[in-house]
Amino acid sequence: MELYKYLPKTNCKKCGKPTCMAFALDLLQGKVKVDDCTPFLEEAKYKKQYNELKQLLGAEEGKKKELRIDVDEELCDGCGICVTVCPVNARYCPPTLSGKAPDYPPEKHQLFQIKAGKCELLNIKHCRRLEAEGRERECRVCETYCPRKAVKIDYV
Amino acid sequence: MERIPCTGCSLLCDDIIVRSDGLFIDEVIGACLKGKERFDQLTSNNRLLNPMIRENGVLEKSSWEDALNKTINIIKNSSNPLLYGFSNVNCEAQLKAIELARKIDGFIDSNSTICQGKVLNMAKDTGITLTTITEVINKADLIVLWGANAAESIPRLLNKVLFSRGKFRMTGREIKTLIIIDPVKIASFNVMGVRDLALQIQPNKDLELIRMLKEECCVADSIPSEGVAGIDNYDLKRLLLHLSEAENGVVIVGQGILQPQSESTIIRELLELIQMINLKQQKGRISFIMMGGHFNMAGFDHIALSTCGKNENLKFKNNELVESNDNIVSKINKEDFDCSIIVGTDPISHLPHNLSQKLASKPIIAIDNRKSATTLIADVVLPTAITGIETGGIVYRLDHVPIELKTILKPPNNLPSDEDLLNQILDKLNKT
Repeated sequence: MELYKYLPKTNCKKCGKPTCMAFALDLLQGKVKVDDCTPFLEEAKYKKQYNELKQLLGAEEGKKKELRIDVDEELCDGCGICVTVCPVNARYCPPTLSGKAPDYPPEKHQLFQIKAGKCELLNIKHCRRLEAEGRERECRVCETYCPRKAVKIDYV
Repeated sequence: MERIPCTGCSLLCDDIIVRSDGLFIDEVIGACLKGKERFDQLTSNNRLLNPMIRENGVLEKSSWEDALNKTINIIKNSSNPLLYGFSNVNCEAQLKAIELARKIDGFIDSNSTICQGKVLNMAKDTGITLTTITEVINKADLIVLWGANAAESIPRLLNKVLFSRGKFRMTGREIKTLIIIDPVKIASFNVMGVRDLALQIQPNKDLELIRMLKEECCVADSIPSEGVAGIDNYDLKRLLLHLSEAENGVVIVGQGILQPQSESTIIRELLELIQMINLKQQKGRISFIMMGGHFNMAGFDHIALSTCGKNENLKFKNNELVESNDNIVSKINKEDFDCSIIVGTDPISHLPHNLSQKLASKPIIAIDNRKSATTLIADVVLPTAITGIETGGIVYRLDHVPIELKTILKPPNNLPSDEDLLNQILDKLNKT
């Protein structure tokens, strides 16, 4: 949101993205550069915003960032809420729909499982933040609903 | 892969996957931290493996023969024994324990007395609507946590009742409203959504809130504008609206409501309030779940009610039940006993200091599977197999649903189950 404020907000589609919002999200993840937004360079009225945005991003601009989901082993008590709420788990492991533990060995799409009383992240490849399209990409349920605040979504 | 019930707490999740090689448990999948600790007890240093008796003030290993003989001796020499515990054993053992109490003219009571047992007793006057976890998953649209720290005491409870998707509640979390009434900002506050209601009540003001809600049920607009018990007018209106418009609500009461010793009026008035709301609205209802801690706390209530007709303060004399107004606390306080048999619990560390001192002054026979403060000061310690892993049986879940436990491993040193051990004591008593 912070980055979006500085963009032209005209949704001109010249950068190839459908909206300025989508451009801001990709900018945050390092997929595009500020210079990809052509109106910034061409039109003089955006000069000030452009400079401020450049300053805000600083040296981190353009570096490709990777999604990471951290589970704090100290805080986690294995309640399994992340297993139940994760939409990818729900699609591929039907028992999790009614709050049950998923089957073992885990299905290849499964993101979370509870083992030895702690939450374990199996693979991140199929996370909605990487695979889904549109608004589904902004999924954050595991972080939002963790009662112990043990799950953290981060880009590094 | 086979799924077994876990005996870590009273929720008894029946979906735990355990991989074992027949001797040890390799992996526990699906259990929370509490359940995992329960399975870890198998190999822990805290495990009791041999019977012990106290001689010349020192607790020492002994043979089963000696330990049982000393047990019989203590029981024979006492005229007023006290039996306590039974919330961590299966129902079969509880049945045997009542038989034993009848035989030795004892006073028998369970942990349920100072927890959820009194709700069932109150309900004899006011009536109660109970529900099951499955029904909550499939139908509930309102969940009230009243003095219940669900996220920390029973970790998977919120997962099951709030986040899971059921038959008529396919969207799960989105369609269920959560209301938390608690004086402390507990961990459950972290799962709050936009529509939910977090009410931080002032300590010891529950009764005020309940009375006000009852009044509001009879006469509209009687909420004082400055609010009650630290909750403002607007939130109170929302609370009452949620309660009276819920299609299928559930009130989960925890230790905050159940534990305060003198305030049994809170439970009575809460039950009356829920009955009032249920009578007033036609299309829906509110029901109760009592959140006990130990895995078979509800079991003793059922066993005692079906065999004796009441669920607490069972005093026997000449094989018959006699009237008694004492409960376990007043009984120990008056020192109205001359020996105690403690099964599967640790009153020495749970009870207040002056009570545990009085309890420790008389001979104690401790029956348990792990070392505790009680087994350290006991005169006879009899080890048993762990219920739910080394022995099966029937136990009652917190919503009063019977669940069958399974045996997955053999006990070490051929330890007897609680039921077998009580049976052996009964046999020996019959012979002598």
